[in-house]
Amino acid sequence: MAMNYNAKDEVDGGPPCPPGGTAKTRRPDNTAFKQQRLPAWQPILTAGTVLPTFFIIGLIFIPIGIGIFVTSNNIREIEIDYTGTDPSSPCYKCLSPNVTPCICTINFTLDQSFEGNVFMYYGLSNFYQNHRRYVKSRDDGQLNGDPSALLNPSKECEPYRRNEDKPIAPCGAIANSMFNDTLELFQVGNASDLMPITLKKKGIAWWTDKNVKFRNPPGTDPLEERFKGTTKPVNWVKPVYMLDSDEDNNGFINEDFIVWMRTAALPTFRKLYRLIERKNDLHPTLPAGRYYLNITYIILNTLHVLFISSIVNHLHTVDKNTGTWSL
Amino acid sequence: MECCSLVRTLVHRYCAGEEDWVDSRTVYVGHREPPPGAEAYIPQRYPDNRIVSSKYTFWNFVPKNLFEQFRRVANFYFLIIFLVQLIIDTPTSPVTSGLPLFFVITVTAIKQGYEDWLRHKADNAMNQCPVHFVQHGRLVRKQSRKLRVGDIVLVKEDETFPCDLIFLSSSRADGTCHVTTASLDGESSHKTHYAVQDTKGFHSEEDIDSLHATIECEQPQPDLYKFVGRINVYNDQNDPVVRPLGSENLLLRGATLKNTEKIFGVAIYTGMETKMALNYQSKSQKRSAVEKSMNTFLIVYLCILISKALVNTVLKYVWQSTPFQDEPWYSRKTEAERQRSLFLRAFTDFLAFMVLFNYIIPVSMYVTVEMQKFLGSYFITWDNEMFDEELGEGPLVNTSDLNEELGQEREELFFRALCLCHTIQVKDDEEVDGPQKSPDSGKRSAYISSSPDEVALVEGIQRFGFTYLRLKDNYMELLNRDNDVERFELLEILSFDSVRRRMSVIVKSAAGEIYLFCKGADSSIFPRVIEGKVDQIRSRVERNAVEGLRTLCVAYKRLVPEEYEGICKLLQAARVALQDRDKKLAEVYEQIETDLVLLGATAVEDRLQEKAADTIEALQKAGIKVWVLTGDKMETAAATCYACKLFRRNTQLLEVTTKRLEEHSLHDVLFELSKTVLRCSASLTRDNFSGLSADMQDYGLIIDGAALSLIMKPREDGSSSNYRELFLDICRNCSAVLCCRMAPLQKAQIVKLIKFSKEHPITLAIGDGANDVSMILEAHVGIGVIGKEGRQAARNSDYAIPKFKHLKKMLLVHGHFYYIRISELVQYFFYKNVCFIFPQFLYQFFCGFSQQTLYDTAYLTLYNISFTSLPILLYSLMEQHVAMDTLKRDPALYRDIAKNALLRWRAFIYWTLLGLFDALVFFFGAYFMFENTTVTSNGQVFGNWTFGTLVFTVMVFTVTLKLALDTHYWTWINHFVIWGSLLFYVVFSLLWGGVVWPFLSYQRMYYVFIQLLSSGPAWLAIVLLVTVSLLPDVLKKVLCRQLWPSAIERVQRSPSRPAPADAAPSPDRPLLTDPEPRPRRE
Repeated sequence: MAMNYNAKDEVDGGPPCPPGGTAKTRRPDNTAFKQQRLPAWQPILTAGTVLPTFFIIGLIFIPIGIGIFVTSNNIREIEIDYTGTDPSSPCYKCLSPNVTPCICTINFTLDQSFEGNVFMYYGLSNFYQNHRRYVKSRDDGQLNGDPSALLNPSKECEPYRRNEDKPIAPCGAIANSMFNDTLELFQVGNASDLMPITLKKKGIAWWTDKNVKFRNPPGTDPLEERFKGTTKPVNWVKPVYMLDSDEDNNGFINEDFIVWMRTAALPTFRKLYRLIERKNDLHPTLPAGRYYLNITYIILNTLHVLFISSIVNHLHTVDKNTGTWSL
Repeated sequence: MECCSLVRTLVHRYCAGEEDWVDSRTVYVGHREPPPGAEAYIPQRYPDNRIVSSKYTFWNFVPKNLFEQFRRVANFYFLIIFLVQLIIDTPTSPVTSGLPLFFVITVTAIKQGYEDWLRHKADNAMNQCPVHFVQHGRLVRKQSRKLRVGDIVLVKEDETFPCDLIFLSSSRADGTCHVTTASLDGESSHKTHYAVQDTKGFHSEEDIDSLHATIECEQPQPDLYKFVGRINVYNDQNDPVVRPLGSENLLLRGATLKNTEKIFGVAIYTGMETKMALNYQSKSQKRSAVEKSMNTFLIVYLCILISKALVNTVLKYVWQSTPFQDEPWYSRKTEAERQRSLFLRAFTDFLAFMVLFNYIIPVSMYVTVEMQKFLGSYFITWDNEMFDEELGEGPLVNTSDLNEELGQEREELFFRALCLCHTIQVKDDEEVDGPQKSPDSGKRSAYISSSPDEVALVEGIQRFGFTYLRLKDNYMELLNRDNDVERFELLEILSFDSVRRRMSVIVKSAAGEIYLFCKGADSSIFPRVIEGKVDQIRSRVERNAVEGLRTLCVAYKRLVPEEYEGICKLLQAARVALQDRDKKLAEVYEQIETDLVLLGATAVEDRLQEKAADTIEALQKAGIKVWVLTGDKMETAAATCYACKLFRRNTQLLEVTTKRLEEHSLHDVLFELSKTVLRCSASLTRDNFSGLSADMQDYGLIIDGAALSLIMKPREDGSSSNYRELFLDICRNCSAVLCCRMAPLQKAQIVKLIKFSKEHPITLAIGDGANDVSMILEAHVGIGVIGKEGRQAARNSDYAIPKFKHLKKMLLVHGHFYYIRISELVQYFFYKNVCFIFPQFLYQFFCGFSQQTLYDTAYLTLYNISFTSLPILLYSLMEQHVAMDTLKRDPALYRDIAKNALLRWRAFIYWTLLGLFDALVFFFGAYFMFENTTVTSNGQVFGNWTFGTLVFTVMVFTVTLKLALDTHYWTWINHFVIWGSLLFYVVFSLLWGGVVWPFLSYQRMYYVFIQLLSSGPAWLAIVLLVTVSLLPDVLKKVLCRQLWPSAIERVQRSPSRPAPADAAPSPDRPLLTDPEPRPRRE
């Protein structure tokens, strides 16, 4: 196939040179590298070296393990299922498509007080946020405030790209299916009075997402003006510029929205919903006692059935003594 | 322009094939038409004298190069994957496979383009260099490429011949010229060529222009040393004179004219039809066992890939069959997707899964293996210890594809055909009995001859008072005892061939007597002798042979003039024959060389090369079966074998020789031998190692060429293989096999026989002479010793070494290293890609079989090309698991890697399982972390890309550290590359996630890596998972080393161990003073 013939040899008239050799002296250089004699460390894994290493590593891990064990024992967690599949559940009524919006109340008791910052998560199971068709169904340009992408979203958003000849903002399946239950927490006081607990909605999304990756369309006009020419996602009740009254948490930079847009790795997942900040060192964040959880479902007819069959909603109220956290 | 010529050549070839393809061509010297009476012939067109060694032109480079590259299966596979990605909606962007492919293709194309550009330059220099033509009696300078067949060319001293020429006349009075063919076959000795008898008088341009002749010759063929043709010289009135032309009249393109002022010649083969150009067509490709294993593994992985894709496709549709899974409310399909037919969807899904998993067969493996081979071969050529001062040459690597094969296989029943053959250095010795008044064997033995026998003869005669002076104008001059010059006219030479094993000259003494002198092997001379001291000489010859000397007999006969006339006619008839000339000549020679009178015999000691015995001993200890294939007679060869310790004093020799076969049938002999051998091997436990111990009876087999051809001859009843099997069976149980009286082709036959025997051993052939070439080409690995007898062996070999002793280092050290290196390279590549792809596969079970990728595109693309490629490449270049000196000192270590030990299924399965285990650890480790916890201190959650990044990070660290654990030789470069590539991964990830890249349509990796690292549990997970993944391998290593250490591991543990007593022949012991009681010459 190939012709190895090299006309150069012919011109030189000499015998072909070996690679690396020069015409003058063919003796290879006596360097450590070329003679493969570079100084080297030659470790060998023997029982004599490996066992002590294991031992030492084991020793190091013992305190780490103890630390982790203690920390995890200090974690308080309560899980509340408000799906309402059980007929005895107060939320059972919300399975019916006719009630909209549907409000139900669940009461629960904390046996131990939750100290430190408390995190509220909502959890979904059997919800494939990591499905390929779902994951790619977004337009990062649009979410970054690119005006051209706002009015002409990426094709990846199909079939949630346009509605009634208007571009959808935010487009795509992820945005369209955004979690929209409203959860409120009340502490039952001594006199059976209800004391609302402040749920903080800022600080639940990554700082970089909120401040760099997600941007509202540029301009100084009110948000509604800046989103002009677009329409809301079909499943949404309100347009994107009405997600929150706070200007700094509205539009694409709404933190609930940003959290939802970070697609989960597994079909059963939880996402941060609200923070309950600790007020002072004297009182626990959530003292032991009775609580009410108010849930407002905004159920759209179109997805009612599916909602029931496929989604289980939980409330995870989480606390930790040390103040850092976990579930 | 190039293109035109290419087309023209093609057209010519094509046409020639169609219509005017004839066995011979007719050339009009100087383009003069023959006289009308001459034979009619078919006109032919010949290519011009343009040499085109370049493969490409400016215009066809891109398409042709691409075509050639995609003809490689691997490249084609990746191209298909790439195209699939372009066409269908696949999970990964086409960039992920397109970029590496593009990179590989571009680098290869640039390399080939550069090489081709150099070739173009060289071609142009060649094609434009000026050549002197004779036209109309005048000298014209033209460019070389304008030369045509039939042109008369003038070549001056030190010029190379522009094409293949028939030598018409020379400035030297005797019509000879000297030529070196250094650039053709590497032989730098001067060779004499002879001008055509009838034209050698034409000395000037005018003379030569008046020449009226035609040349008929065969069509060009690549054999450099064969040529048949005839020339018809037309005189004015007479019938044309017909002369035979042989290779001695042919001056080859590429050779250089020496010691001759100028010559005239007529072009007969030009351009791409010259023998040189024909010869540079490629040799057949040899493939190494490693490559074969690699291809098998690839097929396994391809099967795995396809089955993975199939399983996932099936599962996907099973999964989707439950309601709402296929199209849940939150993730609708587009209208177009919904309308696609089920079959089409399933097929697209299958392809998408293929694309998703295709990285399991990485492009970069091919590139890395090629680079390893190419760069690795430099270490062989750089080796100072293998440099020979005397020759001024080091080893040459002609094929880097086989480096690892050097360190490969062999063993147990495995054979290494090894030709020690006669290697240089005429010692002394010569006996001439009887009346000695002869010239000697004709040829050009200016005391430097290609054959030591000839030198011995001439020197011997000199000792008796006759000094051979020279060959001048066809007269041999001889100084006799009285200091008178005797002249013998050289009439004919019946040249040597390896079938007849003799050659003759016919000379005419000054007194007018005609003699025929014949010299040759004793076996070919004795049957033709009718008088002389036959018995006495025979016994001397036999005694000499036993002492390991190479013998040669000389005989003569007187011819009366009538006899001579007859001989001349016969010879002439045979020589001008165009068909079967060789056969006819041989018949005539047979007829002539009869009824001789024995003159005497010469004996030459073949001195073994330095340290040959040491080397052979080492090879045997390394478990390599050594076969000696030689053309020498049995006694000589056996003595050589004793000298080089192939046979020991306690070796029982088994003979299958012609002599024995005269008494018994082949059948009986073989059965009897096999009984002897098998009885012994049955009574002893078949321990390979004890085969070397002194107390065990070991056998040496001697077989000669005639017996071998009987064994090889297929029998009519179809049971041909029986004898071969039996023979191989016997050989298998012998520690050494000696095959003597071998014709070159038989050597190759033996190699083939061994190669295809049922154990499929790897064979290595080493030799230094032209007669070893066929064997070298046949064997798995061919090694040529750069000998003094010519460089043909070295040219045709895969590796050339200056001295036989270098074989030891070549095999034991370089071979061992390369084998270890490349096998780790191959296994590691598969391992790391199992680690890479299996988590992707697992992830499909958690994402609804939607082909969602686990890793980001950048990671998918760069994993194999940058994050994990350099450490393994460097490992495969630098690794030394045992010190070089230890390997050399202890050849038995070689047994550890025999039979492709590191690439057998067991090893392959181990690596694959390790990969699977690691992948499971990465994936489920990350899975549990994500399932149970949210992992930042501020309660924020991670998404799927963080999940993938965690798996990927753990993987990159595990895979790199796994290699670090395997590295036994940490130079600063290793440290630099291993830690450097980990650092590169981290830096890259920080950068990749640190910026909103404007050219990306998605920003999914934005701050993902940094967020991951800001989480404490993620750090813990990384450390823990890496440790868990590496643990089983470490445990396996330590346990195996502790419980069942291999020889290599034993040596590794105590590197400073003194050499084992039995394995350390003092390296500098001079070879010839071997302790064997060899009768020396008195």
